[in-house]
Amino acid sequence: MAKKIHIEPVTRIEGHAKITIQLDDTGAVDEARLHVVEFRAFEKFCIGRPFYEMPGITNRICGICPTSHALASVKAGDSIMGVAVPPTAVKLREIMNWGQFVQSHALSFFHLSAPDLLLGFDSDPATRNVMGLIQKYPDLARKGVRLRGIGQEIIRIVADKSIHQAWAVPGGVREPLTAEKREAIRAMLPEAFETIETALNLLKSNLDKFAEEVKIYDFPSMFAGLVTPAGGLEHYDGLMRFVDTHRKIIEPGIQNDKYRDYIEEASESWSYLKFPYFKSQGPYNFKESAGMYRVGPLGRLNVCDYAGTPRADRELEQFRRLGKGGAVTSGFHFHYARLIEILFALEKIEETLKDKDILDDWVRAEGGVNRLKGVGMTEAPRGTLIHDYTVDRNGLITDVNLVVSTGHNNMAMNRTITNIAKQYIKGDNISEGILNRVEHGIRAFDPCLSCSTHAVGKMPLTIELLAPDGSMLKEISRG
Amino acid sequence: MLVITLNINGQDVSAPAGVTLLEACRQNGVDLPTLCHLEGLTPVGACRLCLVQVEGARRLMPACTTEAQDGMVVQTHTEQLKEYRKMLLELLLSERNHICSVCVANGSCELRARCAELGVDHTRFEYRCPDLPAIDLTHERNGLDHNRCISCTRCIRACDQIEGAHTLDMQGRGVDNRIIIDMHQKWGESITCTKCGKCVNVCPTGTLFWKGSTVAEMQKDVGFVRWIKEGREKKQWSYI
Amino acid sequence: MANKVRLATVWLGGCSGCHMSFLDLDEKLIDLADQIDLVYSPIVDIKEYPHDVDVVLVEGALCNTENLELLLQIRERSKIVISFGDCAVTGNTPQLRNKLDIDDILTKVYQAGPGSIPKGPEAVDILPVLLPKVHPLHAAVPIDIYLPGCPPDPDRIFLTIAALLAGEKPQLPAEAITFG
Repeated sequence: MAKKIHIEPVTRIEGHAKITIQLDDTGAVDEARLHVVEFRAFEKFCIGRPFYEMPGITNRICGICPTSHALASVKAGDSIMGVAVPPTAVKLREIMNWGQFVQSHALSFFHLSAPDLLLGFDSDPATRNVMGLIQKYPDLARKGVRLRGIGQEIIRIVADKSIHQAWAVPGGVREPLTAEKREAIRAMLPEAFETIETALNLLKSNLDKFAEEVKIYDFPSMFAGLVTPAGGLEHYDGLMRFVDTHRKIIEPGIQNDKYRDYIEEASESWSYLKFPYFKSQGPYNFKESAGMYRVGPLGRLNVCDYAGTPRADRELEQFRRLGKGGAVTSGFHFHYARLIEILFALEKIEETLKDKDILDDWVRAEGGVNRLKGVGMTEAPRGTLIHDYTVDRNGLITDVNLVVSTGHNNMAMNRTITNIAKQYIKGDNISEGILNRVEHGIRAFDPCLSCSTHAVGKMPLTIELLAPDGSMLKEISRG
Repeated sequence: MLVITLNINGQDVSAPAGVTLLEACRQNGVDLPTLCHLEGLTPVGACRLCLVQVEGARRLMPACTTEAQDGMVVQTHTEQLKEYRKMLLELLLSERNHICSVCVANGSCELRARCAELGVDHTRFEYRCPDLPAIDLTHERNGLDHNRCISCTRCIRACDQIEGAHTLDMQGRGVDNRIIIDMHQKWGESITCTKCGKCVNVCPTGTLFWKGSTVAEMQKDVGFVRWIKEGREKKQWSYI
Repeated sequence: MANKVRLATVWLGGCSGCHMSFLDLDEKLIDLADQIDLVYSPIVDIKEYPHDVDVVLVEGALCNTENLELLLQIRERSKIVISFGDCAVTGNTPQLRNKLDIDDILTKVYQAGPGSIPKGPEAVDILPVLLPKVHPLHAAVPIDIYLPGCPPDPDRIFLTIAALLAGEKPQLPAEAITFG
């Protein structure tokens, strides 16, 4: 008899999410679905606002990565203005962006995932969180909190506010960097490097413990992310590249404003999060995962040819071996990729601060409305982020399309939880540990748009086993 | 110069004859909160923040438009007045769409400042969320966003009294009132506007702003109002 | 020995910026851990909102029916409820959708691509119903303390919590109650 299992609430992606698992007549898992239940209508209520207010408004889409939305927004604004952003301003925006990567990735790894990875998926729920981590591994937990703090402080130093800054604007930035601020950032780097090396060594030396997870999270897919014109790892401005599961290039580098030729957004009646898919592998088919691709740390490391900084390149080379000649396809390795990206970001900050023009005070280009359409594409920690604005001749927004990072991963997230559910759920045997494992499948993607810390440790879950007539057979709660 | 004496908050004070109660208070160290008042522009008593209790008067009096008279007994900070001032600010907050977090005037806004000063940390009234006319960005330099307007009319008075163009005026009544340009036209089509920017500078909120201003970027400078007014009154600049 | 204060934090229709600002207390948080029992929060594993909560920080506006249900439960089970951040205090950016029609928005946002639009019976069954208008928290329940800011900076958060831990009502100066 076919049954439907509800898991709610699950990790937030922009609010709460739920999982339903449909069993077929034999009690085996047919399909799992991730329902994103939050909706605020940013794309609609922005209509009528001036385009230079958009960075401030879109900041408020997410409190973890407001900087990413702001950067995509100002880039769309740069395009509408048709200006050349002064080189120093570009570098300063990048420094803020790398600071953002450090804090956001640190949050994901230390506050969110480390409790599962270090304390164990099946460990006592009461302590399987950052507080429990502080008890058992006080040194490491403090280091993790500090690393996130350093990322936030870098943003605060350049942009005056760590959350919802207003410093990056269309045309450039509002304030240049002073020598004092540069030294303040430099002073924090040694500690940050030490922490990330510790974390990388810890993860790498424990990878064999997670062999089972690595296997379950493994499935073929395309990968996507920005690259530099030369094919290097890129976080701020680049061309969008798609590779297949063997790391063969499908699209070498798409210009930002051409994204609609390659990506289409579908929707389902059971989720507020849309389903972007790669158009030429369509038509859209959720069950077949047609056109599915993964973005974020795993996506970016798979599409790039190299990182471009010494330590990160060394780590990347070691990382690539997991792919055995093709892409690294196990979603579990998002964690590993995330740490490499922190290292890369720190190295780039160090390198860029040495630039001879970094203290230049010409940091903002002036302009009016010179194009009626602007696309800003950047890499948020969780993946490629696209802000697409259309304006009237006075600069008032007439249309907005946002393709948010986690959205690209929507199909892949659904696929991951289906795989995990299929592996562990057979008929009636649903245990508490399984719930956590399903959750971790989502957690590995570090879903954005909201506070992923909603799932630090363990998410509150209820699984209801419903008989076909709707009556409750069994209920297991956790948390 | 004639001097009058009056009693403010239990203390006998003096003031030059002919000044308003607001001036009499301020000259004697009693500060009253205001929003629509701007020194150099004629007072209108629009915002009602400066309401005071005058013994013998049936109603509360707006200090900015009430002449201080010899022998007046005034209370400026009774519990009732303090509560009314909070309610006034809360009514303003709920009347239109004030989203401080994304506003160009965040940091220089007088409405926001008055709220903080008077301890208003929320509004008890239901937000109206009106659907207001579109933002006007047709002017070369200025922008107009009705969402943030508190109908103080400083802009109208500055344009009329200081610049002399009377480009801005008011249409409608009550919650339906709106600032308009000329005969309710787009600002970019105005034939009277001299693009001087005085209106933008005197606007206490983010209603009038320089185009291209991003969040919290507006800085207003009202010094010119007094400068010009004094210069004219004292005939400080010779002209033929 | 004094009992630990039972503290909770909740996130409704907001962006999580307030929670991130809370985490910006960095090591001060770890130090506070001695005085606090974090009984419900995005960062601990409790399924259901517990009873006898001493202080709760609630971020986000009321956007859908589930936000409202949870808020009612929070009010019933908590002594001191704090509206945490501008979305909770004023509605803030989510409230910008109030002048639009919800059905209209859902259609416009989702109709562009293939697939189906999330509204109608199947949607309502699994997705929470959107409230016609977004509201600040005190539209539904009485609130004890308002902490504006977008986000409220760590200093004013710390001032508030420190006062409550000392058993006092927080006295926030003017510069600590500004909106935005």
